[in-house]
Amino acid sequence: MNIIRKTSDYAVAGGIGLLVVMGLQGCEQKGDEAAFTKASQTQGAFVVIGEEPNGGYTILDEYPSDVTRVILRTLDGNERILSDAELEALVAEEAKKIEAGTSALTGDKVSSGSMGLGEIVLASMAGAMIGSWIGGRLFNSPAYQQQRQSAYKNPQTYSRSVNSFQKARATGTTSSTPKRSGFFGSSGGTSQTGAVSGG
Amino acid sequence: MVETLHVKPLTQEFLESIGFWWHTDPDQTPYLTDTLVCVSEAEANAYYEAANTAYEMMVAGAEHVIRHNLFHELGIPFNLVELIRDSWENDVHWHLYGRFDFSGGLGGAPIKLIEFNADTPTALYETAIIQWAHLKYNGLNEAAQFNTLYEALKENFKRLVVFEGDTEAFGRHYEGWKILFSCMGGSIEDEVTTKLLQAAANEAGFHTDFAFVDAVGFNDEEGIFKGEEQFEYWFKLIPWEAIAVEEGTLALTLENIIKNQKAIILNPAYTLLFQSKGMLKILWELFPDHPLLLEARFEPLHVKQVQKPMFGREGANVHILDAAGHPVLEKGGVYGHHPKVFQAYAPFMEDGNKERYQAGVFFAYEGCGLGFRRGGEILDNYSKFVGHVIKESL
Repeated sequence: MNIIRKTSDYAVAGGIGLLVVMGLQGCEQKGDEAAFTKASQTQGAFVVIGEEPNGGYTILDEYPSDVTRVILRTLDGNERILSDAELEALVAEEAKKIEAGTSALTGDKVSSGSMGLGEIVLASMAGAMIGSWIGGRLFNSPAYQQQRQSAYKNPQTYSRSVNSFQKARATGTTSSTPKRSGFFGSSGGTSQTGAVSGG
Repeated sequence: MVETLHVKPLTQEFLESIGFWWHTDPDQTPYLTDTLVCVSEAEANAYYEAANTAYEMMVAGAEHVIRHNLFHELGIPFNLVELIRDSWENDVHWHLYGRFDFSGGLGGAPIKLIEFNADTPTALYETAIIQWAHLKYNGLNEAAQFNTLYEALKENFKRLVVFEGDTEAFGRHYEGWKILFSCMGGSIEDEVTTKLLQAAANEAGFHTDFAFVDAVGFNDEEGIFKGEEQFEYWFKLIPWEAIAVEEGTLALTLENIIKNQKAIILNPAYTLLFQSKGMLKILWELFPDHPLLLEARFEPLHVKQVQKPMFGREGANVHILDAAGHPVLEKGGVYGHHPKVFQAYAPFMEDGNKERYQAGVFFAYEGCGLGFRRGGEILDNYSKFVGHVIKESL
């Protein structure tokens, strides 16, 4: 067991790590101070895409996150956040290919299994969100579902991802008996350091 | 002596942008220092081993207390005893995380267990995120830290489902069970800490939600609810002893919910055994003269010693006494009525300015994150958080 973190990688702290990195780069969006406290309302995806030696790309990891961000890690180890404009351009370009039937995502054209950046972005959950306007076309394609799986670095990433994004199962056990609530209703944080918990 | 490295402090604007609002103490001094403690890899490893060893001792201590019915001795409220027994006997009540406080560990000073904050420890955000950001902000090697806390939390959330096995199996075994996260309203630190844990659970793959405790619904037969939605797990950043003493009805309801197997509560009730300072006395009996332990008894010792209330926090009602039992230093507080534990005094490490340091090592299945608190001889809620950097990387 090595306890010292070896990977120089903000993906380890998931969506929060991303907020930190964005904050340090001074590019946090104004008025988004509550971004972290809203993190529970995961409406987006945090995706790390890696460049492969063969010129293709692969999904290294992805998590649910409050904002959708795509990180690109190039072969030299550099990482950067793809801008919204870049993502839109990639998705738009890929949409044209889908229309023309030349996209690896929907067609049967993939031979090497190596996918371009646009294809990989669309194969990720982030792409599914950004590109939802072409969703019907894409998601109804059995080929897309297969290609999507091969876009991930390893099967575990895929299964964890699917799992993470699964919608809550049909729940809402409707209870017939009353529930008591209001406990600690009159209490509250008692000091600046939050002595209600503490230690 | 504690070696420190002067660095550029993180700005308040940045800290607030990531939700860290408690950056300034009530006296308007910064809560985060503009220094980092320099730690060697060997010292970091020793802290890791100490946390793992201390946890094993805690488990043995808890087993001893339960087998011999020593709850009263540890100051455990009577209305939690059954809950503690029930949670101890079944593996589904998995301990998510805690934080050991140690004196020593640097420059040859021996590591000694001061206490274990096993139920609702703070400094989670500082340790997991802020000190790492501090390295990054200063252009230091961001990997040069004993800090896998956030990843370890994610892994331990998965163990709620897979237990000891390979956490990769989570995806195969998870059936959509949900975790509701709660704290009391009114403390931004508690709220953000709770939501940090929620974010880790989300990333582990759980469905989660958040509700302040007063909005959570409890029913003996049906479990725990937010509105009409039922939750299989409830995380509460609320001390168990506060539930027992201030909301006795809730304690009773939770006991029934657990007995009816309608929900699992995090951290489990048995963590209150670890949390009790009375455990320090139990450990000294079970492991006398163990190098990690300080002598501890319920009666005054005959050496310089620290008198602590059974469930105190933030240094409140802690007194330092000399060998004759006379006070050398005293802190006031609200825990004066608690039973007392006497623990042999171990000096905190000092830097060149005579500032004192205590090490905090988080434990989530294993030791996983180091951070320091700097302050006086008794660390209180004015103590500062100090991050660290691994020396060899400098």
